Amino acid sequence: MARMKFYCDAERCIECNACVTACKNEHDIPWGVNRRRVVTIKDGEQGERSLSVACMHCSDAPCAAVCPVDCFYTTGDGIVLHDKDICIGCGYCFYACPFGAPQFPEASAFSSRGKMDKCTFCAGGPEEDQSSDEYKKYGRNRISEGKLPLCAEMCSTKALLAGDGDVLSDIYRKRVINRGASAFDWGVNFNSTKIQG
Amino acid sequence: MLPVEPLQSDSNRQRVRAVTVRTLPMMMVCLLLAVFQVQAADTPTKPAGLISTSPGAELWREVRQRDGDVTGTTQVRSPGADVLVNVSGQAWREYRMEELIPKASVAILIVLVVIVVFRLLRGRIRIEGGRSGLRVLRFTTNQRIAHWATAILFVTLGLTGLTLLLGRNLLIPVFGAEGFSMIAGAAKFLHDYLGPVFMFALVWLFILFVRDNVPSPKIDLQWLLKGGGMFGKHVHAPRYNAGEKLWFWLASIGGLAVIISGLVLDFPIFGQTRATMEFYHWVHSVSAVILIVVSFGHIYMGTAALEGTFEVMQTGYCDSNWAREHHDLWYEEVKDSAEPVPGQQARTRREESTGAA
Repeated sequence: MARMKFYCDAERCIECNACVTACKNEHDIPWGVNRRRVVTIKDGEQGERSLSVACMHCSDAPCAAVCPVDCFYTTGDGIVLHDKDICIGCGYCFYACPFGAPQFPEASAFSSRGKMDKCTFCAGGPEEDQSSDEYKKYGRNRISEGKLPLCAEMCSTKALLAGDGDVLSDIYRKRVINRGASAFDWGVNFNSTKIQG
Repeated sequence: MLPVEPLQSDSNRQRVRAVTVRTLPMMMVCLLLAVFQVQAADTPTKPAGLISTSPGAELWREVRQRDGDVTGTTQVRSPGADVLVNVSGQAWREYRMEELIPKASVAILIVLVVIVVFRLLRGRIRIEGGRSGLRVLRFTTNQRIAHWATAILFVTLGLTGLTLLLGRNLLIPVFGAEGFSMIAGAAKFLHDYLGPVFMFALVWLFILFVRDNVPSPKIDLQWLLKGGGMFGKHVHAPRYNAGEKLWFWLASIGGLAVIISGLVLDFPIFGQTRATMEFYHWVHSVSAVILIVVSFGHIYMGTAALEGTFEVMQTGYCDSNWAREHHDLWYEEVKDSAEPVPGQQARTRREESTGAA
């Protein structure tokens, strides 16, 4: 079975935030919750690079390890999902996650956390596929329709890739070769790059 | 005047050929040198043009925070959103899963075993002189209310906290994931809302009890050196013995740590970063586990261990013989205020009267 992965190509991302917008729109995500965000390193300086980041669907997911109620599970495709009926909104997954993926809508008095929300790789949750319950809690289930995550599907520069890890590796490897990057860290030299088919 | 010779004269041709033959090797050497020089100049310098240091060693070093915190910019406005990879999460995960949960479990088990062993060795410790039928006021109503408010809150917070800490291992096998989710949700709710109330209860308790808990080094040290009379005869003690004083100060200082860290964790609306939350979770869990473990000792000593102890915090009065044995220095101060227990006569008088009859 495929091992689903995201990859963001720092040489291509132009920080347009369209992936963020597409995600919010596709899953009808409330204010204050961002399943995906774009972070720019060295903004305005030489070497500026942007990366789009969301849940990276880790193999040994820290969120699942520290969850006090054990609400996480990994699908056969390697997608890390969680059960909002079991989540108690403690925030531990947010402390443990390296990517800042878990998000918490403000639920009640004193801004206590609501049930955690995060990127589902557009794969919904434990509810029946494409049911209204699933949509309300987790957003659209595109994987069950045979589609890949929308953020990557509509990325204008194809910086953000989503899908089978092997395929993604092949695509990225070809890009690296075409850019003329070498093992001697000469860097990407767009002048000397020969565009190949 | 020199004769003008045609350029293509034989002698001239020969001269050109001779020069060529002589200089050609030198020219070849120069050419070769030039070629090598070009190559030598090419090798060490990076080619000009639009360059970035990629495959990105530098970029990824920054992303992975190898050289300390690196923040970027982002449109998302939540604390820590500008950090691509949060490295403190792994340390916190290791602390919680590999240190806190196993060590807290072991500490609780050890203290329970110690209490059981102590019980088996000493049994229920009776009032040696028996009940006198006379009572002495030990705690005012105010003190008792403060104690029980703090105690009920402490036990509730301790149990709900332990539910969140150990429930995944202990309770999910019993109640299932969904059943435990309800329990844990309720536990978190109670923990979040009762925590701040505990602050008021503990401050109240501190104010009411601090006066007699001021250490008196000589007596306290003696009490501690003799093990508090745990395995032998009673030791001189004022109103509160050194063990009680230690528990008072541990509960106060540990309680303060638990309260401050708890407030930071309870209200995540002041822009606390993940590192801040992780640090205060560490403070909260360490001090809470210490308090819970020691409280087991306090609860056992206050209830089942000693005859005539639990009723003191129930009614506020203690038996005068109990006071004489456990807090002799205090009893000397208050023995004049001893009064008969209502509804029953003092044993000495009863004996006298039966003897007379």
